[in-house]
Amino acid sequence: MSTTTTDLQDEIEKIDGHDSHDDHHHGPEPGLLRWVKTTNHKDIGTLYIWFAFSMLLIGGAFAMVIRAELFQPGLQLVEPQFFNQMTTLHGLIMVFGAIMPAFVGLANWQIPLMIGAKDMALPRMNNWSFWILPFAGTMLLSTLFMQGGGPAFGWTFYAPLSTTFAPESTDFFIFAVHMLGFSSIMGAINVIATILNMRAPDMKLMDMPLFVWTWLITAFLLIAAMPVLAGAVTMMLTDRNFGTSFFDASGGGDPVMFQHIFWFFGHPEVYIMILPAFGIVSQIIPTFARKPLFGYSSMVYATAAIALLSFVVWGHHMFLVGMPIAGQLYFMYATILISVPTGVKVFNWVTTMWRGSLSFETPMLWAVAFVILFTIGGLSGLMLGIAPADIQYHDTYFVVAHFHYVLVTGALFSIIAAVFYWLPMWCGRMYNEKLAVIHFWWAIISVNVLFFPQHFLGLAGMPRRIPDYSLQFADFNMISSIGGFAFGLSFIMLTYIIVDCIRNGKPVEGGRAWESARGLEWTQGEKAQYHSFDTPPSRATILAESSHISHEGQH
Amino acid sequence: MKYLILLFFIFIVYSLGSALYYMMKDNGGSKRMVKALTMRISISILLFVFIIFSFWMGWIKPTGVA
Amino acid sequence: MQSRPDYYIPSGSYWPILGSVGLFAMLGGFAGSLHGSIVGTIGLVLGLGMIIFMVFGWIGQVVHESENGYYNKEVDMSFRMGMGWFIFSEVMFFAAFFGALFYARQLSVPWLAGEGNNFWTGELLWPEFKSIWPLVAMPDPTNFSIPKGIIGAWELPAINTLLLLTSGATLTWAHWALMNKNRNQLIAGLMITIVLGITFLGLQIEEYYLAYTTLDLKLSSGIYGSTFFMLTGFHGFHVTLGVIMLIVILMRCIRGHFNMDRHFGFEAVAWYWHFVDVVWLGLFVVVYWL
Repeated sequence: MSTTTTDLQDEIEKIDGHDSHDDHHHGPEPGLLRWVKTTNHKDIGTLYIWFAFSMLLIGGAFAMVIRAELFQPGLQLVEPQFFNQMTTLHGLIMVFGAIMPAFVGLANWQIPLMIGAKDMALPRMNNWSFWILPFAGTMLLSTLFMQGGGPAFGWTFYAPLSTTFAPESTDFFIFAVHMLGFSSIMGAINVIATILNMRAPDMKLMDMPLFVWTWLITAFLLIAAMPVLAGAVTMMLTDRNFGTSFFDASGGGDPVMFQHIFWFFGHPEVYIMILPAFGIVSQIIPTFARKPLFGYSSMVYATAAIALLSFVVWGHHMFLVGMPIAGQLYFMYATILISVPTGVKVFNWVTTMWRGSLSFETPMLWAVAFVILFTIGGLSGLMLGIAPADIQYHDTYFVVAHFHYVLVTGALFSIIAAVFYWLPMWCGRMYNEKLAVIHFWWAIISVNVLFFPQHFLGLAGMPRRIPDYSLQFADFNMISSIGGFAFGLSFIMLTYIIVDCIRNGKPVEGGRAWESARGLEWTQGEKAQYHSFDTPPSRATILAESSHISHEGQH
Repeated sequence: MKYLILLFFIFIVYSLGSALYYMMKDNGGSKRMVKALTMRISISILLFVFIIFSFWMGWIKPTGVA
Repeated sequence: MQSRPDYYIPSGSYWPILGSVGLFAMLGGFAGSLHGSIVGTIGLVLGLGMIIFMVFGWIGQVVHESENGYYNKEVDMSFRMGMGWFIFSEVMFFAAFFGALFYARQLSVPWLAGEGNNFWTGELLWPEFKSIWPLVAMPDPTNFSIPKGIIGAWELPAINTLLLLTSGATLTWAHWALMNKNRNQLIAGLMITIVLGITFLGLQIEEYYLAYTTLDLKLSSGIYGSTFFMLTGFHGFHVTLGVIMLIVILMRCIRGHFNMDRHFGFEAVAWYWHFVDVVWLGLFVVVYWL
């Protein structure tokens, strides 16, 4: 179609006064309003990722306050009440504001490209899913400035701390969670509809890249788990304001019921934050091992198994609440069972690398770091899952160390790996490899200095969520804080590397950024076009671009 | 008694669920959805009648303050 | 089949951002008004207005696009999937409240009375307390409204069940009429369904009124009142949504929007109504009978 006819059509439709024409052959709208109105999956993905990154910096700043206070024993810098607000909002912001939106952003960018679709299935709703987030984030952060301070009951907001004894701002927190949940559910619906309905006609389910598979299963978890969270905060709301007694024993309810409902959501939630990470790593490792992914179908089944098991193990967060012995045993065995499919995955990654022609560009460095450090986090998780041992570990820094190993060196590292891996395709430019490698080593050392000593602190009995501690914990806390500041600084460098790449990076030449990267997302030339896959890719292209079938003997 | 009613519910939810499945699968091109929904409403009415009948026979009692 | 063969990607839209602002104003305003802020109440009303405007505007645009043939079979399928998974999320939301009801009946109330290994719980906390469902004597009644009785299954609830079941039947009748291209029956069936739905809502309000005024059964009547009102209340909210959607569908039917091949709007709303109906049946059984 020539430009003149397109323009003419545009004119006619403007005169029509009807703005829902097919703007498929156009580039982005000029001006800032483009970002507000956009229905383009790449625009929305970009918005999600920048939002997540700014939330990561805010949540990180809160973490800096925490580590600064814990640098030395005694109350040093902030009031204990404010300290509690920091731990609470750090957790909430990182989980709901940083990690989850970052994954949804990656899904927005990558899923349509990886399955040969024009866009997401429901583009307008896609825009809404994103644009709820800044408002929800604002509402959540605004609680800090309200009378009585922000929520200070930990990110798990157990009743009655969050009902009877909570500040007024808690109601704003409740509605912020409602909005975040609403956004997540709509995003997840969109992902499922896109994957099931928008795939290139010649792509079968078992042809899909693993990132797409893991996101399909994650979206199912989101739709099943987020409404339960909405139910929990709704009960909190009515308990606080309308006299109900869901979590009040004097009316026949039970505060422990809150924990059951919360963790019925909460445990799938932790897999929501790690399954897409599994997908990312499964894309990156084959590229830099120059081998197809080992055990593709077992990866798919393992992901599904983890997802299903995640709904029946929530009690392991509550071993010390006074659970019947049979319940403890059941939850312990079910929890330990999860290590089987997870182990399948770890061994598949290792086997993919085995005898591969490995090279260690930045994305691969982060991916390998993920495999090693996530495994450490997984193993400490196994320790926590053993009911009798958990009596010692429960609510100590051991738990803190465990979930930061899986969420920071797991989920967050995979996101950083994904950004380095796909950024050259997104903007057609290459980042500064030398700086990126320096940044990697800086981050990897500092993050271990930050979190590894916390294992020892926990084993020695230091409780979590306290602003002060007894003297025997001083040394490790200081080491941990030093690591924390160094790790915090690394994000300034990360910001520089990314902005530098987008503005001054060397253009990618010759089609794809990585020598042996496979996947439909790499078939669009040097840079992702604003609109892709007008005509769906053919079966031959799909097979040739598969990262999990062997291409040996093909040229 | 509880289990009998539960059984009814399994059938109701199954027919309701299959209606949803046909709605998504057949894309409006078949009568399978409306048939499943007919099944679902019929079983529901049957359950209601059954509850009334059980009450009349004295098999169940509504919850109430003693 | 339609004039545009490929998947329709709408261009930029202001509806989502309007919805976000509306949601923010409504919920933030609600939270503010709970603490006596006038600004909050204003925000609540404004936000609600924006949401309603957004919903009608957005759906209006979708209907317009649909009628002008912008949507092909794949777009239709995306809407179907979206609806299906949205309903699944609703099921999980209700599941949380049903879960709370079961937990209270089977676990927390008996435990408070000292069942199982909770002998000392009963002994030390409220030794007088006995586990009787429906729970009208709370462990510590000081802060709660003590109900004189509860709504019996034979009063309004049975009539309401009959109403909803009949409405399900008339809707199915309308559905068959659609499949058999009988427009008059379709419209008549929809109208009867809507009238039955509205009657149900009216009786539900009557029931709440009775509970509050003559029985002292309130939200603050311990765990029984909490679960009773939250479950039936959320159900009633969904019935309200269902009635509104049915009215929209009726309007579209009168305008001749649907045919044998393209009637997703009808199917989705019909399914939603059946879903709400089944939830009620579940409520009727577990809240009033078992």
